[in-house]
Amino acid sequence: MKDFHGIIFAYNTFPELRELVKLRTAASLPFCGRYRLIDFPLSSMRNAGIFDVGVIVQRDYQSLLDHIGSGKPWDMSRRDAGLRMLPPFGLPEYHKGNYTGTIEALNAVSTYIENITSKYIVLMLGNMYANIDLYEPMQQHVRSGAEITAICAAHCVDGCRLRYVTGSDGRVGQMLIEPRDESRGVASLEAYIINRDTLLSLMQSCREQNLYRFHKDALSRYLNEGGRMDVYMHEGYSSIIRTVDSYYRANMDMLDSVNRRELFPASRPVRTKFREEVSTYYGEHSSSRNCLVADNCIIEGNIENCIVFSGARIGKGAKLRNCIIMRRCTVGPWSELNYVIADKGVVFSAGTTLTGSDKLPTVVPKGTEI
Amino acid sequence: MKKNCIAMLLAGGQGSRLYALTQNVAKPSVPFGGKYRIIDFPLSNCANSGIDTVGVLTQYRPLQLNSYIGNGQPWDLDVSDGGVYILPPYQSAGEKGSWFSGTANAIYQNIGFIENYDPENVLILSGDHIYKMDYSDMLREHIEKGAACTISVLQVSLEDATRFGIMNLGEDGYVREFEEKPAHPKSDLASMGIYIFNWKKLREYLIADEHDPDSDKDFGKNIIPKMLAAGEKLWPYRFSGYWRDVGTITSLWDANMDMLSPTLINLYDPDWPISARSPICPPHYTGRNAEIIHSIVTEGCEIDGHVENSVLSPSVQIGTGAKVYYSVLMPGAVIEPGAVVEYAIIGENTVVHSGAHVGAPPDGSDAWGVATCGPDIEIRSGATVGAGAMIYTGKEV
Repeated sequence: MKDFHGIIFAYNTFPELRELVKLRTAASLPFCGRYRLIDFPLSSMRNAGIFDVGVIVQRDYQSLLDHIGSGKPWDMSRRDAGLRMLPPFGLPEYHKGNYTGTIEALNAVSTYIENITSKYIVLMLGNMYANIDLYEPMQQHVRSGAEITAICAAHCVDGCRLRYVTGSDGRVGQMLIEPRDESRGVASLEAYIINRDTLLSLMQSCREQNLYRFHKDALSRYLNEGGRMDVYMHEGYSSIIRTVDSYYRANMDMLDSVNRRELFPASRPVRTKFREEVSTYYGEHSSSRNCLVADNCIIEGNIENCIVFSGARIGKGAKLRNCIIMRRCTVGPWSELNYVIADKGVVFSAGTTLTGSDKLPTVVPKGTEI
Repeated sequence: MKKNCIAMLLAGGQGSRLYALTQNVAKPSVPFGGKYRIIDFPLSNCANSGIDTVGVLTQYRPLQLNSYIGNGQPWDLDVSDGGVYILPPYQSAGEKGSWFSGTANAIYQNIGFIENYDPENVLILSGDHIYKMDYSDMLREHIEKGAACTISVLQVSLEDATRFGIMNLGEDGYVREFEEKPAHPKSDLASMGIYIFNWKKLREYLIADEHDPDSDKDFGKNIIPKMLAAGEKLWPYRFSGYWRDVGTITSLWDANMDMLSPTLINLYDPDWPISARSPICPPHYTGRNAEIIHSIVTEGCEIDGHVENSVLSPSVQIGTGAKVYYSVLMPGAVIEPGAVVEYAIIGENTVVHSGAHVGAPPDGSDAWGVATCGPDIEIRSGATVGAGAMIYTGKEV
């Protein structure tokens, strides 16, 4: 499949993710007990046979680097190409702020893009939560002759800000940006299969006119000029994570077995950093109802509707409901937590009580001791 | 490439006393303790002890073991100046080739491999023991004592001593006599089957033993007694932690139950991790009807029944209302709704259909036993598998 090359946009931190992105980008958010968000686009690419992937980062990417390493868990540690982290290179002095848009991010690593020899490029967001079978849209793209194929979601739970209205020929006629009316068109996952030459020419024309945005600038012009963009519908669960609310909801939705099967089908496994750990132990007086629990936990208390990451210790008599407990957190005995997102390594001393709400879960930042 | 010490891991045994569990796989690759396979223990001990070159001697049904070990990456043994090597028996020019005829012969046939690393010492390990041990401490003692061979020993009760190879020591603390399964043991120091040899010495004895037509080509029976007879210095290295031989169904089941007691062996110690190669599965899911008591559960499991005093490997499914007591469930085992499994070992991907009943609790008599189902078996709806039964793959129940 050397005809395809992947690009993942992992430079974004969104203010509405609050404390969760203080020390990381949205793409490296811990997810569903053992994953990071970027595992989903990376695994989608890997499972479709794409082994050459550039990950565009800008700042605060240490946690992402640590997670991705050489790319080996996705079989992307290759003799040639493979997985490459792409921080900005050769940006002009006047530009020290955040990337204004995706085209600017692409232009900041233009040498890499220009050196891609594959005919087609798959673009994906690092904060997209979906397991997409890319094989079909890739086939469709090659067959159809469209220069761009937009991957859209039949079941976008949150975060899809763009909609495409298609004509009777199935081609996109109109792009709706953050429309009020969600009945028109289909939700975009902001994932595309695009001909390399088309992408390079979009990048170049934007560069010449000091334009930065992929959708508002490049793509809308492309469509206005009569460019052809087809649509491929992804049927499974999908969400684009930009807020604490969408983060919380997407995690909790995995307690539903139908959603879980869409994200974790046996035929297209979600791959992640190797972490060889011991099984989880449940004590004599523990209970665990409607929970997802990773390895290497010791559960002595009671958990319900929770996502528990590896290395967590839940003390005797503790009661946790509707919580996300990240790696190596310790919850002391007789603590009561409800609607809490505890970031990595948080320690709740014995008898702590903390309650958030469904609409506004309480986020406890990494390493806090309470 | 000069190495101070390399390890040779004997993983070729058939494990015939595990019956259905080793019908198609070698004993070292039998699943153990939820996350692991038996061989993870010696391999992890090597990695944690700083021994980065390990030869794994395979013979019986090695396919699964080969793919499991792979390049040694899960144990951090994928290094460029050492690593883990699978060593099957092979044919040399002008020879017919032959199987490994004994533990010593297996090492003899791989003298060439060992010489590549020109080691001072060679550590000999078995692939069927569950324990955490720092071999570097044993190696230090071996060098300090100037021993030709150091044998790891464990203090056992005199009653148990009749089942082991027993070391009788001289006044200087060195081994004076070795007795295999003595009827009247004179000492309570049992050999754990873990040896460090000075390689030059071992090489001599291996070559001599190979030409001895009366020899069984076995370390315990031949090499050690010959070294003692020749007056070589053999030092006992005293080990005091948890150590179990899991060569029988009962001992395998017992040792699995021990994994529920961190006071016996603590697998949660970050300083001595036991690693495994495992498929990447999502976290395990506990349903709204799940009850899990004093048990270990691994990623990929889906549980909606009652689980008590049990060990669950990856991707085990326990249906609503199913009951599992004092049992070991190997990867991918499925216990359908309403089925009961007690005092049992259920092999990989075996399905216990709804309403079936496998095993029975101890009745106080000696007749009770662990019910064992091999891998890939269907126990049909409503069937009963009695205590101590052994169900082989390919048999219909």
